Amino acid sequence: MVTLQQQGHLKLARADAICSRLIDTFSLIEHLQGLSQAVPRHTLQEITDPSRQKKLMMGDQHQLVRFSVKPRHVGHVSHAQRMLSRLPVRCSWRPPLSLWAGWVLASPIFSNFIISLIFLNTIVLMVEIELLESTNTKLWPLKLTLEVADWFILFSFVLEILLMWLSSFFLFWKNAWNVFDFVVTMGNCAWMLLGKFIHHLCFPQSLLPEIMKLIGVSGESVWLQLLRICRVLKSLKLFARFRQIRVIILALMRALKSMTFLLMLLLIFFYIFAVTGVYFFEDYSRSTLENLEYNMFFSDLLNSLVTVFILFTLDHWYAMLQDVWKVPEASRVFSSIYVILWLLLGSIIFRNIIVAMMVTNFQNIRNELNEEMIHLEVQYKADVFKRRIIQRSALHVFKPNVISQGLCDLIPCFFSLDLEASQRKISEDLSEASKEESEISVAEEGAAEHTDAEHSATEHSDAEHSDVERGDTECSDAEHSGVERGDTECSDAEHSDAEQNKAKKYMKDSSKKKSSKAKVYPSSSSTSSSASYDSFFPTDKLDWETLVHENLPGLMDMDQDDRVVWPRDSLFRYFELLENLQYNIEERKKLQEFAGKDLTQFQELSILG
Amino acid sequence: MSQHYYQESTRAVSSSLFDTASEARKDTQFQEFVRKVIRSPIFQNIMISAITMNAVFMVLWTDYKLRYKLFRVFEISEVLFVSTYACEFFMKVYVDPINYWKDGYNLLDVVIIVIILVPYSLHKIKGKHYRYHNIADGIQSLRILKLIPYSRGIRTLITAVGQTVYTMASVLTLLFILMFIFAILGFCLFGVPEKGDLDNWGNLAVAFFTLFSLATVDGWTNLQEQLDKRKFTVSRVFTIIFILLASFIFLNMFVGVMIMHTEDSIKKFERELMMERHMMLTEEKQLILKRQQEDVSRLVNTQKSGGKGFSELVEDFKTTLRHTDPMVLDDFGTSLPFINVYLSTLDNQDATVKKLQELYYEIVNVLNLMLEDLPQEKKSHSSEILSD
Repeated sequence: MVTLQQQGHLKLARADAICSRLIDTFSLIEHLQGLSQAVPRHTLQEITDPSRQKKLMMGDQHQLVRFSVKPRHVGHVSHAQRMLSRLPVRCSWRPPLSLWAGWVLASPIFSNFIISLIFLNTIVLMVEIELLESTNTKLWPLKLTLEVADWFILFSFVLEILLMWLSSFFLFWKNAWNVFDFVVTMGNCAWMLLGKFIHHLCFPQSLLPEIMKLIGVSGESVWLQLLRICRVLKSLKLFARFRQIRVIILALMRALKSMTFLLMLLLIFFYIFAVTGVYFFEDYSRSTLENLEYNMFFSDLLNSLVTVFILFTLDHWYAMLQDVWKVPEASRVFSSIYVILWLLLGSIIFRNIIVAMMVTNFQNIRNELNEEMIHLEVQYKADVFKRRIIQRSALHVFKPNVISQGLCDLIPCFFSLDLEASQRKISEDLSEASKEESEISVAEEGAAEHTDAEHSATEHSDAEHSDVERGDTECSDAEHSGVERGDTECSDAEHSDAEQNKAKKYMKDSSKKKSSKAKVYPSSSSTSSSASYDSFFPTDKLDWETLVHENLPGLMDMDQDDRVVWPRDSLFRYFELLENLQYNIEERKKLQEFAGKDLTQFQELSILG
Repeated sequence: MSQHYYQESTRAVSSSLFDTASEARKDTQFQEFVRKVIRSPIFQNIMISAITMNAVFMVLWTDYKLRYKLFRVFEISEVLFVSTYACEFFMKVYVDPINYWKDGYNLLDVVIIVIILVPYSLHKIKGKHYRYHNIADGIQSLRILKLIPYSRGIRTLITAVGQTVYTMASVLTLLFILMFIFAILGFCLFGVPEKGDLDNWGNLAVAFFTLFSLATVDGWTNLQEQLDKRKFTVSRVFTIIFILLASFIFLNMFVGVMIMHTEDSIKKFERELMMERHMMLTEEKQLILKRQQEDVSRLVNTQKSGGKGFSELVEDFKTTLRHTDPMVLDDFGTSLPFINVYLSTLDNQDATVKKLQELYYEIVNVLNLMLEDLPQEKKSHSSEILSD
């Protein structure tokens, strides 16, 4: 915040963003305007902790608590889970019937049973149809078994529907498959009850034929045929179970949904041409000539509509046109214009537009599905990347313990003894932390070894902070910006200082779904390392950058589960330091440019000389 | 209500029409009022219901008996509908006379009004028993096209499809040229008066029809039979070649071209939508940022008007922060992976800078050495230049 006044002339977007983040997080403006009453200063954890809660309540009873409202993706919440968390359910002696019904419906035994029943139903129906008209008395036991099977199947389907109603009445109607089930089963019931009873009752001829005529039921009546179809439709339910077919049906429905406007436009055109057709062909419809095949085709609106559809499918249009030409009163010009226009517009252009839209929709749907998969992949990679970073920082602490003893004689060690001891403790913590993280696959451990090489690069760079100081004093006469150089040195020192502070000051509280225990490990990314390596792998830097570029968006997206607990003053300091860092980096960049320019000038001069 | 507007707008139109061309509108208030009326949802609902009722009535009037019985209803409803459409037309022209003609849907409105006036004028000009009266009645069904501007979905569809119109037109022209060539060929081959098939190939128009029938492969076997009966040997080759060209190649090429263009136009449309949304979001973010900065600068300025200075206030605030106060954050900028990644990247950057510096030192060393090796007068010359 202070730098706002010092470097007021230098406007950096990043620094501004950090500044505004600071103001946002701390509600700084409200505080400074004296409205600190209206700003929440405590978190949910303080309320749930009873001792702290007491202390808070005794202090000031009107304080506000900050709730973090980020939506968490918990996945699908089933009806059973919802029921379980309701108060009446939790406080009752035994679970309500609906829970039991839901459990039964979800259990695999029951669903397999239903599937086998549907198969049986189909087979029974097939055999029944074959044997329907035969009066072979030897087949009577078979017919009896078929009927018993029929009744049993119907009964179990009705039972299934009752169970679903028991489980949740209102949700039953929201699912289209359930409604379909209900309609089919009701049709089935009607068929069985009406058809079978009256069929049986008409064997003895005691039933009055008039009643039968009233009900309109006989063995071959249309309604019975229709109701029988319901039983066949039940087998369609099988298709709902298979995932692939469900995906295809969903894709089809989505494609159709996006084509609604096209179909509406088509309907409008149908309407236009139907009404126009009635008027245009009035003379033809009213003509008294004989042997006109298509006379009634344009007589009124309904027929006209059907004729327009016939023309849309390009069926016998030329014959119809020649028929119209037979009537002398009908004008040839207008009728041919009508037919040709409709053929071009409807059958050729519209049909191809429909095909084109379907193709693009299918492509879009496929692309969407691909995108979802790619999204999942990116998340997975980001997860891998994150674990890698954590492992790097873990190993970062490991390394000095192993190597510092070896290189102690070679290079002046910048360790202080207590720092070493604390690092050993830190490494122990990290080892058990990394053991907990051992769910990482073997490939990642291979990657961890690879990160050692990158590791060496960062450690090298840290030692250079101190090296740079030494090197600078040598060439301060060559560069006339020595004073500013010292400034950047201070900022770099502050930079490493900040890292050390941060290392000691925060804990991580990762609330991942799997692990409920809080994992505490102070992560010290690059503070501890001062052992330097001479080897430097330039290729690793390229890897690092591309790695970061690839994984950063995924990392940003997936960071929903982890929350970091910061102490307040360190958070403030962190933001301040980050802002300063931006300005310092910018300055350093400018200094580099100056140095480069000077050197090139110097070069040119000396070459001239 | 519409009559009332009609009268008002006619009075106003006559006075303002002369003004608009040359100078600014003098009746801005009324113009604004009428514009508000046109854009209001009530007006749009009225128009949509009027057009739908008109369409339904037209369906009813196709039946002659109904028309005969309810003749008065027919006349009155016609008057109502025509007056509504005319009202709308005049109001829209009044609001914006010059830009009205630039929008395609407004031109469609004008065309439909002209079509509506055709039967009446035909009656007047040609008398009662003109044989083409039913044609004029027939094209009244185009009135339902007025419904299209009120539905956003259909409008976007038409914009998307409308861009493929040029391709469509070119393919159809090609088809026409092909049919023309084959028609002339067929006429010369099969339409010769003596032993030719005069019904189907007698004159150019009929030949066109025959060829169109072949292209849409409807009933082409009958036509081929006719030619076979007259023992034309070339006819089979002719027919088959034409069917291959027109039906298989051309009409399917049509489909392919349409698919390509529909894809392109839909993609472009979606990209535009995304860009719009993106821009809106960035604008909002800028607004929030600016407001914050204004607040901060205002606070900075309060130090001049007495009271504590801004930085002192901030320092005071900092002292109130306790180390044991936890703040739970889950945004990306304060999360551990970000810090790790950022610091590692900064370390790499430092490494690069260090290497660069070493290179600079080397350059300077080399140049120094070069300078020492130079002969004396050149050295003084160059040192003079250096000291400048």
